[in-house]
Amino acid sequence: MQWKNLALLALLGLLIAPAAQAQIKHIEMRVEGMT
Amino acid sequence: MKQHLGRQSGVQNVEVSLLDGKVEVTPKGDGQIDPAQLLKATYDSGVTVAEMDVTVRGKVVKDFSGNFGLQPEPNRSFVFAPNELSNGLESLVDSQTVVTVRGQLYKKSAGKKKPDPSAPLKLLILEVQKKE
Repeated sequence: MQWKNLALLALLGLLIAPAAQAQIKHIEMRVEGMT
Repeated sequence: MKQHLGRQSGVQNVEVSLLDGKVEVTPKGDGQIDPAQLLKATYDSGVTVAEMDVTVRGKVVKDFSGNFGLQPEPNRSFVFAPNELSNGLESLVDSQTVVTVRGQLYKKSAGKKKPDPSAPLKLLILEVQKKE
């Protein structure tokens, strides 16, 4: 039973991990009028 | 401007290059940063944003209107400005594939100084860097 739970947890982790790592990584702006 | 932008939510570091008029913003690790808020904050600090490019990682999604976009966070997505590269990503909708793209979120219209905060930012993909 424990193995089944562990397998389910691992599967859940695989599904959630990519979404959790999704993000804006870098922003670059070109601006005018800066002195 | 550097201090003003540095105080915005989700901003870890701001690098300003006076010579070429470039501002680089590094988000915090959680990536919870709002580009529209940054645009407004930059304008409020007295300079005009000509262009904003982002590197973003997320899943390809399709919204209720049938528009394709990239979802970097559960509550935020950037609708694609259609081009050849975005068309190539449409097949990944609702898949587990996570893509990293570099794209343009904002470009100043001719004669327009202030960005319209109500206008949704569209992501014009310039480069697909990674598919995982």
